Amino acid sequence: MPYDSNTDRDREDMLREIGVGSMDDLFADVPSVLRTTADLDVPGPLSEAELVRHMQRLASMNRTTDDVVSFLGGGIYDHTVPAVVRYVTSMPQFYTAYTPYQAEASQGTLQSIYEFQSLICRLTGLDVANASMYDGASAAAEACLMGVSIKRRHKIVVAGSAGPALRAVVATYLEASDIEIAELPVVGGVTDVSGLEEHLADAAVLVVQHPNFFGVLEPMEELAAKCEAAGALLVVSVDPLSLALLRPPADYGAAIVVGEGQSLGSPVGFGGPLLGFMSARREFVRRMPGRIIGETADTEGRRGYVMTLQTREQHIRRQKATSNICTNEGLVALGAAVHLSLLGKKGFRELAVQVTSKAHYAAEALASVGGVSLRFDAPFFREFVVDLPVAAHRVKEELGRVGIWPGISCGCWYDGMEKSLLVSVTERHTREDIDSLASGLEAVISAGGNS
Amino acid sequence: MTDPTKTGAVLEPTVFELSHPGRSGYRLPALDVPEVDLAEVLGSANLREGPPELPELSEPEVVRHFTRLAEMNFHVDRAMYPLGSCTMKYNPKINEEMAGLPGLTGIHPEADATECQGAISLVYNLGRMLAEISGMDEVSLQPPAGASGELAGMLIVRAYHNDQGNPRSKVIVPDTAHGTNPASLTLAGYDAVEIHSGPDGRICVEALADMVDEETAAFMITNPNTLGVFEDRIAEIAEIVHSAGGLLYLDGANLNASLGVVRPGDVGFDVMHFNLHKTFSTPHGGGGPGSGPVGVKSFLAGYLPTPVARRDERKARGFEFDFDYDRPKSIGKVHSVYGNFLVAVKAYAYILTLGPAGLRRVAENAVLNANYLQKKLEPLYDLPYKGLCQHEFVLSATRQKEHGVRALDIAKRLLDYGLHAPTVYFPLIVKEALMVEPTETESRASLDRFVDVMAEIAAEAERSPELVKGAPTETPVSRLDESRAAKELNVTWQGR
Repeated sequence: MPYDSNTDRDREDMLREIGVGSMDDLFADVPSVLRTTADLDVPGPLSEAELVRHMQRLASMNRTTDDVVSFLGGGIYDHTVPAVVRYVTSMPQFYTAYTPYQAEASQGTLQSIYEFQSLICRLTGLDVANASMYDGASAAAEACLMGVSIKRRHKIVVAGSAGPALRAVVATYLEASDIEIAELPVVGGVTDVSGLEEHLADAAVLVVQHPNFFGVLEPMEELAAKCEAAGALLVVSVDPLSLALLRPPADYGAAIVVGEGQSLGSPVGFGGPLLGFMSARREFVRRMPGRIIGETADTEGRRGYVMTLQTREQHIRRQKATSNICTNEGLVALGAAVHLSLLGKKGFRELAVQVTSKAHYAAEALASVGGVSLRFDAPFFREFVVDLPVAAHRVKEELGRVGIWPGISCGCWYDGMEKSLLVSVTERHTREDIDSLASGLEAVISAGGNS
Repeated sequence: MTDPTKTGAVLEPTVFELSHPGRSGYRLPALDVPEVDLAEVLGSANLREGPPELPELSEPEVVRHFTRLAEMNFHVDRAMYPLGSCTMKYNPKINEEMAGLPGLTGIHPEADATECQGAISLVYNLGRMLAEISGMDEVSLQPPAGASGELAGMLIVRAYHNDQGNPRSKVIVPDTAHGTNPASLTLAGYDAVEIHSGPDGRICVEALADMVDEETAAFMITNPNTLGVFEDRIAEIAEIVHSAGGLLYLDGANLNASLGVVRPGDVGFDVMHFNLHKTFSTPHGGGGPGSGPVGVKSFLAGYLPTPVARRDERKARGFEFDFDYDRPKSIGKVHSVYGNFLVAVKAYAYILTLGPAGLRRVAENAVLNANYLQKKLEPLYDLPYKGLCQHEFVLSATRQKEHGVRALDIAKRLLDYGLHAPTVYFPLIVKEALMVEPTETESRASLDRFVDVMAEIAAEAERSPELVKGAPTETPVSRLDESRAAKELNVTWQGR
């Protein structure tokens, strides 16, 4: 096999040095009755050429966002990934390193993650951030557990307008606890604030996604004020790109801000790896889950970085740890740091302006199609919901035939929204792409959903 | 000659310090639609005052900054990385290329199943391969890391007992367990009960028999365990746990030693997780992304995370592969989508490259290399648990401590010789622990070099302990002050 360096001769010599007669003897601890006698029934071995041929065939069986005009989003967005991001994350010094347990030999990883934490805080306006979480959904779940541990209240309230994946993962993480989950109804595309006081009275946290699953901006000021009054912590799940334009959540009183960072330099990648991030007020840093990188100095006073506050973590605190997370999404966080550094203050804002402009152009174009209307009369950022005269899945089928994927059928996730489509736009869409969606939609609808 | 990189107080400025107003390293397409009035469409009350203070660099400056940072990293492409329980094996380059195929990176997870048959088939088939390798019946790739796999596995245990109408309160873990084990089972609502290891580093089966009762939901173990010892009485252990109605959980972190040799499902394990970023060669990335699939016996299959990849060879719905969301007993979702798909691609390519004989050879060489090292190092360092080991073994620096040299000092001194350190101070039951896992991809020459360096350090510890205690001196920075980092907490750059 190509990846081991010991020849059969080496193996024999080494067995002799160890003082055992055969490879079987080396496994003497494994009772022979328990050992596998037959070869494993797995395919291979393949040569590199055979592997490549097989993988290319598998890859060709998928249609990608390059093959069609796709308006799919819903939390995972098809942005251009700059070559520099791939270049840096492909450096073996980064991708073949382990968790930086030996800080003196891991300053590259440590400083880049420190920079990632700093960049995240510049977006959210909060004081501290961790080295990453698995994805936006698990970050939200961990924020709930963190809030419960801070407030010592055993209830959380989640906005129903938060993404279905986020709500599902939160429910899984809290399944085994005695924490009650209340879900707020959605009215007009945003969280219904009536009756919120009652819900929040004994709640540790309120989790709001902003912009929400429908792309709509939530009334954050009002939600924050009600949290404040009830003594609950406000947890906001953000789209990081939106923070190029929108108020930093710290401004309106968010205690913990989490989010999905896939849009910061990751491909859509069939949904993984993703990138969860978490930032919080400084006072909560000792309750945070996961790795945190801190600045320090070496024996000669040179600046350096280490994993800090490790006594929160599972490898030290075991069952009393703030979380079970160990491996996170380090390399993806590095990619996000590279992405944010590359676009910079100017480029990141321009990207957000483009996305907003194109999303609004698309919304107008679609709303001008007969029988199509915008579902919500509320400000939105990068995606929006349109109501169709026919079932969304029918429109998807028809448009799919001409290479247009118009969006996500909301009916998959929300009752009564079978004729609604969540349309998502990025800088990769041209005016022509958007116009072709509008004209395609028009054709499908005028043919009665059956062009 | 003085190393010029060490004369300043800062090796590499932060990206913020390198910023200069007005620059950007990326150009967008020209906006071909009217630019919106942000205040009008987003509402002025929702807008921030100015753009976030991101750094402003050109593309070459970004590349140089991160290249200089990269140069300060140790990595496995350079030299041996014998971190115990971490399985830092070589990461095959072809796998990186395969995971970068546009036909895989460009799939949106909301695409219809008909449009991504290749990707779903990969998810399905990798699950089948992991099931075959482990002797489990069904596998979900959804957990994005080992600890997430543990949580999923423990929630499956919980759902099973609840379904039996017999919820239980505790999970037993050995004192050699990875820290994630007690943390994960706690998150799954159980109390961790610790069982002490016997004098041979194995579970004391008699003590276990006394401990297991009708409140025991599961016994969660790593096998071979973190001392590198195989639990040779695993069949009895399984019998004890099962006869009390409990389940046997395997932390698959050390599966490398078992590939093609022994299948966890055949020796009594009911549920386990895999670490694709350990056993199946996917790179660790300096802290992820990993992948921690969870595997179960068929009686637990209904509880796996939703959705589950499935195959219909008759293509009754017009296609062969899709995801099944209709899983009423499922524990739900542990990840937003299907898990770390592009990591799974690398593990898939690895298994196909090796095939059955290659996988077995991985285990053989991993165990061979570990035993060879153990044999050579035993005269130099204390070996608390003697006898043959599996893929790793644990030394103790107690002998060196007599000269004031601790395991941490030895670890740091190894860095000076251009090698990575073993895992130190784990497992917790070994004083001054140095946990060594060479992996199968190290050559005998590489192992010999490690032995030579460890011998030299052992000699230095006697001859000139201050030298070892002052290590490292050859790394970009000397020993870093961890307590200062915690005391003067600075986790974000505060300057401009």
